[in-house]
Amino acid sequence: MTSMSWRHGMHISAVLALLGVAAFPIYWMLVTSLTSSAETFADVPRLVPDLSQLPIYNAVFSTTQIGVWLVNSAIVAAGTTVLSIALAILPAYALSRLQFRGKGLLGLCLFASQMLPEVMLVVPLYAIFVTLGLLDTLLGLILVNSAFTVPVVIWILKGAIDSVPVELEEAARVDGCSRIEILLLIVAPLIAPTIAAASVIAFFHGWNEYVFALTFVSSEGLRTASVGLAGFVGELITPIETVMAVGIIYTLPAITFYLVAQRYVVAGMTSGAIKG
Amino acid sequence: MASIKLAHITKNFGSVTAIKDINLDVVDGDFLVLLGPSGCGKSTLLRMLAGLETISDGAIYLGDRRIDGLPPSERDMAFVFQSYALYPHKSVGENIGFPLLMRYFRWWFHIPILGSIAKRRVERSPEVAQSVTRTAKILGLTEMLNRLPRTLSGGQRQRVALGRAMVRQPEVFLMDEPLSNLDAKLRTTMRAEISKLHRNLKGTFVYVTHDQVEAMTMGTKIALLRDGQLQQFGTPREIYEDPANTYVAGFIGVPAMNLIRSRYSDDGFRIGPAAISLPERLMAAARKANGPTLLGVRPNALRIGRSDVPDTLQGTVVLVEQVGAESNVSVELAADAMSVEQDQSSNTIIITTPGYSELEPGTLISVSMDLEQAVLFSEKTGERIRD
Amino acid sequence: MAQQLLERNARTGGRWTPYFFIAPAVVYMFLFQGYPLLQEFTLSFTETSLLSPNQSRFVGFGNYLQLLSTGDFRRTLMITALYTLASVVFSIGLGLATALLLNQQMRGRGIARALVTIPWAAPPVAVALVFSWMYNAQYGIFGHALRYLGFERLGSENWLDSPSLALTAVLLTTVWQIFPFSSVVFLAALQGVSPELREAAIIDKADRLNAYKAVVWPTIRPTVMLIALFTTIWSLRRFDLIWVLTQGGPVGATNTLVTELYRQGFVYRELGSAAAVGMVGIGISFIVTFAYFKVMQRAERARE
Repeated sequence: MTSMSWRHGMHISAVLALLGVAAFPIYWMLVTSLTSSAETFADVPRLVPDLSQLPIYNAVFSTTQIGVWLVNSAIVAAGTTVLSIALAILPAYALSRLQFRGKGLLGLCLFASQMLPEVMLVVPLYAIFVTLGLLDTLLGLILVNSAFTVPVVIWILKGAIDSVPVELEEAARVDGCSRIEILLLIVAPLIAPTIAAASVIAFFHGWNEYVFALTFVSSEGLRTASVGLAGFVGELITPIETVMAVGIIYTLPAITFYLVAQRYVVAGMTSGAIKG
Repeated sequence: MASIKLAHITKNFGSVTAIKDINLDVVDGDFLVLLGPSGCGKSTLLRMLAGLETISDGAIYLGDRRIDGLPPSERDMAFVFQSYALYPHKSVGENIGFPLLMRYFRWWFHIPILGSIAKRRVERSPEVAQSVTRTAKILGLTEMLNRLPRTLSGGQRQRVALGRAMVRQPEVFLMDEPLSNLDAKLRTTMRAEISKLHRNLKGTFVYVTHDQVEAMTMGTKIALLRDGQLQQFGTPREIYEDPANTYVAGFIGVPAMNLIRSRYSDDGFRIGPAAISLPERLMAAARKANGPTLLGVRPNALRIGRSDVPDTLQGTVVLVEQVGAESNVSVELAADAMSVEQDQSSNTIIITTPGYSELEPGTLISVSMDLEQAVLFSEKTGERIRD
Repeated sequence: MAQQLLERNARTGGRWTPYFFIAPAVVYMFLFQGYPLLQEFTLSFTETSLLSPNQSRFVGFGNYLQLLSTGDFRRTLMITALYTLASVVFSIGLGLATALLLNQQMRGRGIARALVTIPWAAPPVAVALVFSWMYNAQYGIFGHALRYLGFERLGSENWLDSPSLALTAVLLTTVWQIFPFSSVVFLAALQGVSPELREAAIIDKADRLNAYKAVVWPTIRPTVMLIALFTTIWSLRRFDLIWVLTQGGPVGATNTLVTELYRQGFVYRELGSAAAVGMVGIGISFIVTFAYFKVMQRAERARE
């Protein structure tokens, strides 16, 4: 065996080990959800899913509120996505292309907003929610979540707009387009893949968000999946396979969605990060 | 001995053959220029010499030693990259000294504190420090040894790259279009400097370029490539005066050699209807061809003249380009005469006349030819016909 | 009228145009982040109960002084520092190793790159849930595996319930979740390494490690530094993962600033001291960021 193929073998096994580590917890969630109660508490764990347990994925929709939770999470996530993009695109363009006083300050504030813990804003936001009548509504969640995604989305979109050749816009201006028209007709279509990426990131944020959903929503019918799922922790009544099945139902759409859009997400994310 | 021998070198990328059966013999001290248009395989050939690319078939010898199986670090060749490839965070001095540091490097230099002490000792040792200083002095970089590459101008970076190659005192210098990122004026200066370097260092240089001026002025030998195949290998003079085929004839020389469609038959050598008397050397070749030929005449061997002189062609001026010291006059020959430039058929030929030409497009003129240096090609194959 | 003004401005590209562009987002961000932050800032100088938030008493720096005087809070700071530092070091290290590993030529590289990012895409609450199941003392897969490997004692307790092991358990979960982010970004940065520079190092007889130090590291260093900063800031404010796993317990072993903030506010109902904890956290974030830019600037200047 030459040193070349030996090194190759090491490389392959390292990659496989890494993939195993990365995928195992999700796999384990799946296996547990598809293991009968008796086997779950056996001395020797079951390492592969028992496909005869598949009906549990049908059953959890009646034994838990997962159906309602998913719908609520989806509404919050979708709303967060739309609102974030709508709010972010104009300032992203301004930061990339226009010169104005306070530009540096705006950039600094956007960066600083990354430091704010959600938990800290819960109390003052609660007061605002009471005033605006947003308490116990999904709209309220959409509004607060967007406040946390807008800076990120602005940053990602700015990175993409930076890479659009200025000459294209100048040509459009010569042809008589206004700034808004340039943005909507020339720039937006060109950065569509990045908009898609930013949308995915905003969607995830809404889908995953926990603190605000926990504190601002009290009605059973408006609970999101993150809060619903966290409610199983420390509770001993619901069988573990049910909990894990709910976990899988909540996790898989996120992962699938991510894997489908992965190429764009990575490109959008890294364009901002690498250029700094 | 740093002679290089390439024997039957072939390179396949998948099903594509990038280099096809190339044989070259480079004598110690030669300055070989690999010349050709982009995509002709010249860079691939150079990278195979360096060991950065494997060869699919054939053998490479350095002196008597076969080297095509060796890794790049064991070939004793320095490489100057097109983008210079300077280590961006290392100073000029560190960049130049890096190959020497690597020569004395031992694995335990990687141990944190111990290693940096050892590295510093190597860097300050007389051999290394003096080589770096000497190299910097030759290249005029002494003042810049502590600067970072990005603070240097293009020409200075180019010199650092050369210095990094020189400091190793390799048997062979390989250079991949090293001047292509410089502006025109600097290119001329650096051309002269590299030539001087070659004379002083007495190493064997292999230099890749697509610029025929660089090839003609710097090379002692030129290998002209096209589509991975060697078209001609010889001194610049041979390549210019004695092209092996129409491709070489068209590639070398600005403006390119005129290739005029002609024919030899029982009633002599004719261009269109005009009978042309050839020097004996060409006549012999024409007789051998006995059929359609291409007569290759450099633009400066053509004269605009009166029509009563024998052996003239008739035509109309279509374009006059003033270059300054001379003028390039494009002439459309009468319809039955044709010229072939590269692979495209047209009946336009170019004449270089000294000084500022007053000719206007549309003027009818006649063209006389000085055929002493002219060459003859087969129209069918494009190959040279010799007597 | 306003409509007209806006349109004229947009058309002529007047000097107010940039402000029209940023106004909606700025107003929005102020309403949902700036204003609440100011409120928290004021709140941190008062004694206010969650039960009667409108009746607050100004106490000056009282909350801050009280916090700094308690050993519990100093411990929280220590744990926060430890948690943040370890999250950053291990996620960056693992991310870098992963990126270098996946940057090499091999079959199925695209699939491997996609799969390795799965943890990052999984919702934190779900991650916390499955990890707490895996850490289960009797039936969790960790316990099974450890006992199988012969670590009887380690394998028979729930790490999340052990004051000495809980932080390690939380860290394992955190690093698992966040390392893909850095690896993805590093992979992209590695594409910026000039192939010519790599080859130059080979020609100069550099071994792998020297080539890495001379070529790869200088290229990706700025990215690694930036991601380190982001990971630090995000780790300082991470809540859901820790809260669902341990709620900061057992006996405060995983209590970081953010879980402490939640406890102060919603368990002890002391909004004033909760706000003070939050301000301390933000202060630390600011200091870290400031120090980062200072260090970067100095490094930059040293290179001139």
